[in-house]
Amino acid sequence: MTRAAPEPLHLPEPDGGRRYPGLDVMALSRHWDDATIAAVAGRMGMPPDIRFFTAGEVATASALCDRLLAQDEDPRVPVVAFIDQRLTEKETDGWHYDDMPPDDQAWRDSLAALDEDARRDHGVRFDELAPSAQVEYLQAVQGSSEDAWHGMPPGRVWGLWTRYACTAFYSHPWAWEEIGFTGPAYPRGYKNRGIDAREPFEVRDDRPDLDPTKASRARGAR
Amino acid sequence: MKGFHGQARGRNESAWLLTASGGLDHRLREGMRRFDDEEEVDVVVVGCGAGGSVLTQRLARRGWRVVVLDAGPFWDPDTDWVSDEAGSHDLYWTEPRVIGGKNPVPLGSNNSGRGVGGSMIHFAGYTPRFHPSDFSTWSNDGVGADWPISYEDLRPYYEHIEAELPVAGEDWPWGDPHTYPQSPHEVSANGQVFQLGAAACGIQTRVGPVAISNGRFGHRPHCIYRGFCLQGCKVNAKASPLVTHVPDALAHGAEIRADSMVTRVEVDDRTGEATGVHYVRRGVARFQRARIVAVAGYSIETPRLLLNSATARFPNGLGNDHDQVGRYVMVQGAPQTAGRFETEIRMWKGPPPEVSSEQSYETDPSAAYKRGFSIQNVAPQPITWAEHISAQGYFGADLRRYMSDYPHWACLGALCEFLPLPDNRVTLADEKDRNGLPVAHFTYSMGENDKQLMKAARATMEHILQAAGAQEVITIERYAHLVGGARMAADAEHGVVDRTCRTFGVPNLYVTDGSILPTQGSANPALTIMSLAARAADLLAGH
Repeated sequence: MTRAAPEPLHLPEPDGGRRYPGLDVMALSRHWDDATIAAVAGRMGMPPDIRFFTAGEVATASALCDRLLAQDEDPRVPVVAFIDQRLTEKETDGWHYDDMPPDDQAWRDSLAALDEDARRDHGVRFDELAPSAQVEYLQAVQGSSEDAWHGMPPGRVWGLWTRYACTAFYSHPWAWEEIGFTGPAYPRGYKNRGIDAREPFEVRDDRPDLDPTKASRARGAR
Repeated sequence: MKGFHGQARGRNESAWLLTASGGLDHRLREGMRRFDDEEEVDVVVVGCGAGGSVLTQRLARRGWRVVVLDAGPFWDPDTDWVSDEAGSHDLYWTEPRVIGGKNPVPLGSNNSGRGVGGSMIHFAGYTPRFHPSDFSTWSNDGVGADWPISYEDLRPYYEHIEAELPVAGEDWPWGDPHTYPQSPHEVSANGQVFQLGAAACGIQTRVGPVAISNGRFGHRPHCIYRGFCLQGCKVNAKASPLVTHVPDALAHGAEIRADSMVTRVEVDDRTGEATGVHYVRRGVARFQRARIVAVAGYSIETPRLLLNSATARFPNGLGNDHDQVGRYVMVQGAPQTAGRFETEIRMWKGPPPEVSSEQSYETDPSAAYKRGFSIQNVAPQPITWAEHISAQGYFGADLRRYMSDYPHWACLGALCEFLPLPDNRVTLADEKDRNGLPVAHFTYSMGENDKQLMKAARATMEHILQAAGAQEVITIERYAHLVGGARMAADAEHGVVDRTCRTFGVPNLYVTDGSILPTQGSANPALTIMSLAARAADLLAGH
């Protein structure tokens, strides 16, 4: 994660659409408590070294997470490094399904399974496929009605991937800026909490035309 | 100020034992009385959450020598908690557990705490009472179970605990109508959407009831509406045992021994009585002697401990002569429906708990299902909101586009009264934890009545949000809360503890947590768990 920062940064277009221009979460951190600053600022520096995944697994996991989160180019939130850190430290969610291995093994097995599918069909590793082809494999897992995909219930594999990926991505201030979220709010709190009310430090949605529900409403109207 | 301050203080001085700025007073902990393992204390309590802490505080006040052991840390909200979702994983019970059944229930952050204060550290803050009908669903409707006690047995304890937390809310018209010690909080946009939509549908709502101090209470400060109730209240405005009962317990000579994982209740097979508990602290196996053992580890760990404490005389575990331990564990169906609005709602601003409706709580004679549901505001922070969006099947650029719309959404959650079923149970898994003990396996499958309730609740929430002007509604199906697993019953064939919370079979072994609930209503369980523990303390001390 090397990103020189001459001005407040945003994840690349077109994903978030820069709906909240000028929102700079870390610039607000002077209003936070020390413990919170330590937790959040730690995500902004050098990502933790890879300790759990093998090199091959990093390649597969990176392709997987890039597709899940549409992180197609740098700068990226270092999602795979954050997932690796959790698996190294066994920071689980506190449960696993009785028809799935524990999370760390489930990650290894499901990454190996993606590679196996890619090799079987195309003779290459998963990460060597074109992004559009990678997405097709992911959609196959997501939409599968089979009982098992490489011995695991596909819905639970999908849940494992998206839970870990979304937790890593949406813990990062860059992602917060993209969704209009100003981050931690202690000890300051909020004063203007009504409908269409904002704090002085909040940024209004600058692109209400990007309402994502318009497309689904248009489909419904047809 | 209202008179309830003085009365609450007479029973429980916790809020006045914080520092002037509302923080934990470290001198209390440094000066804490300490007991030897060898000393036979009056009672050893396992777990310092809603049940264990209230029992401890009440008995310590009566001069009992009490040690409470908790597997997790003794928190300092100032230094240990953060105003951040991902940084709050330490608050949850994340030791291994296995889930199964047709509808496996995720544990961890959703429903399981660790450390002094238990899962109330990260509960939203809703503290409704149960309705009188909850105590006799079998007699009334032929479903669920009858409790061996009635609402009237609990009412005085509800009133006491509501004053001690304290609870803020409008006058309550449902169940046994009652008032709250504190006036309702001002409602933010998310709550206003609920009020507007419900009014348009002819559905009654009320603000509260929340255990978040509205105004100063003792040294507890006013809420600052920062929205991170589920990540532990750094302000100490939201109630948790850490600020509502622990300070008074310490001041009255209780010892709270944190970082102590209880592995087994020791029973002398010759007498059939408990003699204390085995626990591990700093890697060392130890044994605390006690005249009485009270287990308060909640619906997963309490059954696990009772099962892991089997002896020659009790080969199936303690309180389990009739195969009742671990059965009838309940969760509430907790679908959440969000609505998209042209205006900005920014639902994360303000406490997630704001407005409730219990209009559909009771059995509707015209419906095909029995019992009912309640509806409350919820307010997902970004990671939790990503679960909502992801559950609709979005990923990649679609996910990020939907997420970027975050300020435009408001959210409601329902609590559906799922019925107690014998096969929804905790057993021991083959998998072992770091101490070599079998971990809990929790099997859960919804019944037909449960599915119909979930559907009805979802339709009602969608209706409300659409009536408020939502352009699109999305629902995520999920579960909340845990109760049952060592339920209270009239006899040993039907439960694990009697009406006094004493286990059938081991006369000096008690259970004082949410696992004793025979039914759950569609109310959040914290207040009822605390009230049951306060009642258990009164009964114990009366002996």
